[in-house]
Amino acid sequence: MGAAQPLTAPRVDETLKTETARSTQRLWNVIVWNDPVTPMSVVVVIFRKIFGYSNNKCTQLMLTVHHQGRAVVWSGAQERAEDYGVKLQVAGLSATVEPAS
Amino acid sequence: MASNRLFARRRDGRLEVRLNDAGRSVLRAVFSQVVAAERDTNHEWHLSLQSPINPGRDADDPVAVLARQVGTSTNAELALASVHEQFLTDVEAWAWLTSLQVALRSVAVSQGILSEERLAAAEDELRQQIATLQLLLVSLAECL
Repeated sequence: MGAAQPLTAPRVDETLKTETARSTQRLWNVIVWNDPVTPMSVVVVIFRKIFGYSNNKCTQLMLTVHHQGRAVVWSGAQERAEDYGVKLQVAGLSATVEPAS
Repeated sequence: MASNRLFARRRDGRLEVRLNDAGRSVLRAVFSQVVAAERDTNHEWHLSLQSPINPGRDADDPVAVLARQVGTSTNAELALASVHEQFLTDVEAWAWLTSLQVALRSVAVSQGILSEERLAAAEDELRQQIATLQLLLVSLAECL
């Protein structure tokens, strides 16, 4: 039997480690898009129910959608962003997710 | 003074539905259409229920797609099952609101109503259909 080799931790590529960390920490935006038929008061109710925001914040976001064509309504981890995107679509709004720039 | 609101919040927390038989028939038809559209790939509303969630990907995460499908169907089926009720719980009222909103957007998308100009130029019958759905939605949203 030959002499035992000392145990050493496997080498992890430092570049890979950094990229993985960057990807998990990256922020994702949930976007709601304007459409010509959805009543404003309905958008406010949907935001309040899904995000639990105050009436003021929901109204401000709704007005941003109305005037600018879209609004970032939430930012955070990708999985939660996609979950909110699904909830907004199930509620009948036009919503997508995208990486924050 | 008589109120002509279509929905009213009661003191016990439930929502009173003040629609007549004709109004309920409209809702029954709308909710049935959403259920059918989610199941039938040839339904004219089906495509509007398939919007991309993450347009940056070639295809959406299948788990997210399934969650959307289940959520839309569950709400529409609950709305359909409770369409005859005189009083709604909050869960039922939310199912009505979301199913009406899904129907409103599906009508608009399937008819190419993607701008204010297109809406203004739409035929009277279509604009009347959209206005009816909007009226129901606004009345319901006032109570939620």
